[in-house]
Amino acid sequence: MSETNIWFMIIGVSAVSLLPRILPVAFLSRFEFPPLLQRWLSFVAPAVLGALTAMSILAPQGRIYINSSNIYIWVFIPTLFVAIKSRSLFLSLLTGIGSMAILYNIFSI
Amino acid sequence: MRNIEVLEGVRDSIPIVLGYLPLGFAFGVMANAAGLSLLQATMMSVLCFTGAGQYVAIGVMQAGGAAITAIAANILINQRYTLFATSMVPYLKNIPTWIAALLSYGLTDETYAVAMSRYRDQEATASYMAGLNLTAHLAWISSTVLGAWLGTLIGNTDRWGLGFALPAMYICLLVLMVHNKSDAWVAVLSAAICILTAYLIPASMANLSNIIVATLIGASLGVLFNERN
Repeated sequence: MSETNIWFMIIGVSAVSLLPRILPVAFLSRFEFPPLLQRWLSFVAPAVLGALTAMSILAPQGRIYINSSNIYIWVFIPTLFVAIKSRSLFLSLLTGIGSMAILYNIFSI
Repeated sequence: MRNIEVLEGVRDSIPIVLGYLPLGFAFGVMANAAGLSLLQATMMSVLCFTGAGQYVAIGVMQAGGAAITAIAANILINQRYTLFATSMVPYLKNIPTWIAALLSYGLTDETYAVAMSRYRDQEATASYMAGLNLTAHLAWISSTVLGAWLGTLIGNTDRWGLGFALPAMYICLLVLMVHNKSDAWVAVLSAAICILTAYLIPASMANLSNIIVATLIGASLGVLFNERN
């Protein structure tokens, strides 16, 4: 890709990634959504998080990897437990990162 | 500006920052290897701020693809933000529209998850949004610079366990966001639909359309459950 093309790509990718975030907020905020749509939208966040969590654990490298040698699945268990018990982002993060570091270093040697 | 809320936003962005460091760093390294200058790699993270989208654009470049291919792929990848931004609109009523729109520049999977978890019981403010989104964006930019600049010196960051920073954050935010049975069912079904779609149509993973499919079906099932209850 030439210099000009690289800059064209950067500007183009910028436009198509920013517009979907900015336009709804810019143009939809003056409308009052009907109750049914509001209820539907209230489920978007749990649905997105369910999907993101599943992908990050079961397809950590962008490919589905459901197997006992996928250490993300093993680290998921203590992290979920601590998240439910503590409801603390910090403790969940500490558990997740700590368990990951331990398992990664044990199994990659 | 209310300083305390800016600081709360900064504080809440810490898990995101931890997750972004290795990801932005990896992007810097990849961009450098694909022939982007330090300035171009940095500007890409400043102007685009789309993790998956930036990786894909570099992939297209490395495969000898055209700029327009990278842009087209990004249209698909970033479509989910339309949904995220729309679901956030009802919470942003008290922020002047142009400020809310400008701050939505920093809307990502991660800032969305953190913000929605807060807005369930606290009012959304421009100060909080700024603290959260700008800190996350700054982490993304600075890790890109580091990766593009001295990427080859640091080597594998996986052994520090940071690969699990974002999954751990998703898990905890999911737990915090589930308030009743409907929420739990929506999350579980959406997770299953997402993986099933990826399994049946592997290409859907490359452009993240499986997340859109799962969200659309999951949220619709949520409305149905709710009607019955």
